[in-house]
Amino acid sequence: MSLAAEPWPAYAGATSARTGGVAGALAVWRVELVKLSGKIVIRAIIALSVIGPFLVVGFLHLQSATPGDTPFGQWVHASGFAIPMTILGFGGQWILPALTGVVAGDIYSADDHLGTWKTILTRSRGRAELFAGKFLAAATFAVTALLVLTVTDLLAGLAAGRSPVVGLSGQLVPAGHATWLVAASYLSDLPPLLGFTALAVLLSVASRNSVVGIGGTVVIGVLFQIVTLANLPQWGQQALLSTPFMSWHGFWGAPAFYGPFLWSLLTCAAWFAACSAAAWLIFRRRTIEAAA
Amino acid sequence: MKRLGRVAGTFAVAALALLATSCSSSSNLTPDRLQPSLGRAFANLYALQQSEMGNPRVTSAALKARASCEKGGTLDVAQQGSGVWLCQITYLVAGPGYPVIAKYNVDLQTDGCYAADGDGPASVNGSPTITGPGYRQVINPLSLIDGCFDTT
Amino acid sequence: MGPVVEVRGVTKWFGETTALDEVDLTVRGGDVHGLLGPNGAGKTTLLSALFGLVLPDEGTIRLFGRTRAQAGAGWLDGVGGFVETPRFYPYLSGRRNLAVLAGLDGGDAASLIDSALERAGLAGPAARQKVRGYSLGMRQRLGIAAAVIRRPRLLILDEPANGMDPAGIRDLRAALRRVAADGVSVILSSHDMAQVEEICDSATILSAGRVAAAGRLDALRAAAPDPVWRVRTSDDGRALSVATGLDGVKAAVGDGGGLVVHAAQGEMDSYVLALAAASVALRGLELDRTPLEALFFQLTDGAAKPVATTAEVTS
Repeated sequence: MSLAAEPWPAYAGATSARTGGVAGALAVWRVELVKLSGKIVIRAIIALSVIGPFLVVGFLHLQSATPGDTPFGQWVHASGFAIPMTILGFGGQWILPALTGVVAGDIYSADDHLGTWKTILTRSRGRAELFAGKFLAAATFAVTALLVLTVTDLLAGLAAGRSPVVGLSGQLVPAGHATWLVAASYLSDLPPLLGFTALAVLLSVASRNSVVGIGGTVVIGVLFQIVTLANLPQWGQQALLSTPFMSWHGFWGAPAFYGPFLWSLLTCAAWFAACSAAAWLIFRRRTIEAAA
Repeated sequence: MKRLGRVAGTFAVAALALLATSCSSSSNLTPDRLQPSLGRAFANLYALQQSEMGNPRVTSAALKARASCEKGGTLDVAQQGSGVWLCQITYLVAGPGYPVIAKYNVDLQTDGCYAADGDGPASVNGSPTITGPGYRQVINPLSLIDGCFDTT
Repeated sequence: MGPVVEVRGVTKWFGETTALDEVDLTVRGGDVHGLLGPNGAGKTTLLSALFGLVLPDEGTIRLFGRTRAQAGAGWLDGVGGFVETPRFYPYLSGRRNLAVLAGLDGGDAASLIDSALERAGLAGPAARQKVRGYSLGMRQRLGIAAAVIRRPRLLILDEPANGMDPAGIRDLRAALRRVAADGVSVILSSHDMAQVEEICDSATILSAGRVAAAGRLDALRAAAPDPVWRVRTSDDGRALSVATGLDGVKAAVGDGGGLVVHAAQGEMDSYVLALAAASVALRGLELDRTPLEALFFQLTDGAAKPVATTAEVTS
């Protein structure tokens, strides 16, 4: 067959292209998720999230020393619930920003690198739909990864032992309540995770470079942790996007306190809004250079 | 790249401004937040320790544990902020009914969490393990206290 | 029905450079319109602006009578094509790439993928091969297949013959003539006037971001300078003097031997006969530049000065 042998498919009137807005963004979201699921890096991360915690439990089982410098660390041999809490306390602040950075820091700049913006921007989806759809895909990955980690860390801990665990006011927390608190602690990291997603998107869009998008997110996460060591005033500490990762401390108090968690909702909403808005403003009227 | 420069610049300025405020700041890392938290944790953990050792049950309220904390260092330092604090916990032991003082070296972080390392007496918090019924060795709950208080 | 593409007074600056300066362009339904200019003239910028990849600083662009603001998401409804070499996801196969694009298009685009790939000569193993292994010509074909699945009524193609073999170019040319006959409008950019002359009905010539000439090819030809011929004779000196005696024939010694002659077809015929009458044998006669090619070089050589031409597109 050749290009001239038969008539080309004739124009058939307005297609679903007209249904823009949310439906359009969802179409982009679906396409991006399909592209993501085919990437080896993504599959590796999800696989690691599933088996990793069980590996940690096995590792801890084989030695008598306990992790220091982190709450719950001393109790890992006494109660299985201490294991997911140690993982969260130790790794939450730097694993989670890197986790979302890998996708969100690349999903826009990859098209800059490959020169494919001019391909996907010349279909039936406007810039807003493409921006929103990619954002949704990055957020979907981050949320999914955290949910997988929550479930597997909790299961690994339960497998290690269901004795009551010592909380952060010295109180004994029975197994049933401890299960809820572990789940709630992990889920309380969703807002800062989404905040870092927006930050990674901003870096990706502004720099058009995946190294800056991914690496920059990790570096900024580390910088937050350094800045937090200084004796900043309370509002300063709460303004950092790393602080919300630890707001679950209050859940384990007796009595429990929720001030840090409420502050974290405010902080994360502010970071999310600011970074997303800035990224959109940069993207909406940008010139897409045709790369030869 | 100009856009990225602007974004990075905004972050840098904000971070520097934030750091600048740390020179003259009032935080909530003060004795009147640390003391009640440490006292309560001690009382709960003392009760746990006694039950693990197989001793008669103690209620944490009956101990009337009170913590008194001072920020460490030889010079007069401001009694606030993260760092090393020296705490003494006074509590009443049932039976004899006299006050006992337990000492702790407390490492306080900026997020309101602390690790209190037991500094005597040896029988209370000096040893990392205690012996339970049947000569079982378990972690001494009072030797290292991990706690957090509300800084907001 | 109004024009399919209407560009009025479009200007675009990139910092200090003016990429497009008060550019006007009109394409009617069923026309094959050539966009010509040397490299750097602004062809790609203009085509990018049609696609919404570049947003003009001044002026308006209407596709099918609607501006981008009016049309919203449906701006590129029925519009297909590409700017510079088409780019795809190298880690996906040709077919998967089209599936991704069809997912973005919606409608029945996905069902047209197989026939589009066959049509573009990429069926079978080529479709399953990852795009990172594609040659330039294969990528051009995939770009055209990507346009076909959009059921285009307007094709915007940036140097589509680039990297294709002669058979492919012939095939493409025939296809464009065919779709134009079916009512599809085509804008085709090129730096080669000879290609444009073969299939276009009208053309716009850009030079340094400004429109140097525009109109139907016939009208442009009428305003064009004489074609240029390469002539080899048995006696170049005598041939030159014969030329000076004739109106409308300008001859000069050419590089690499022979003569370069500027003359319209009719005058050229007279010249050949005059040479024979002067006992000068004609050993070779070649058309070096068509009238339109001559016009193109005249307009795009050196600084851009819009030619006062009566060859405007008439409604």
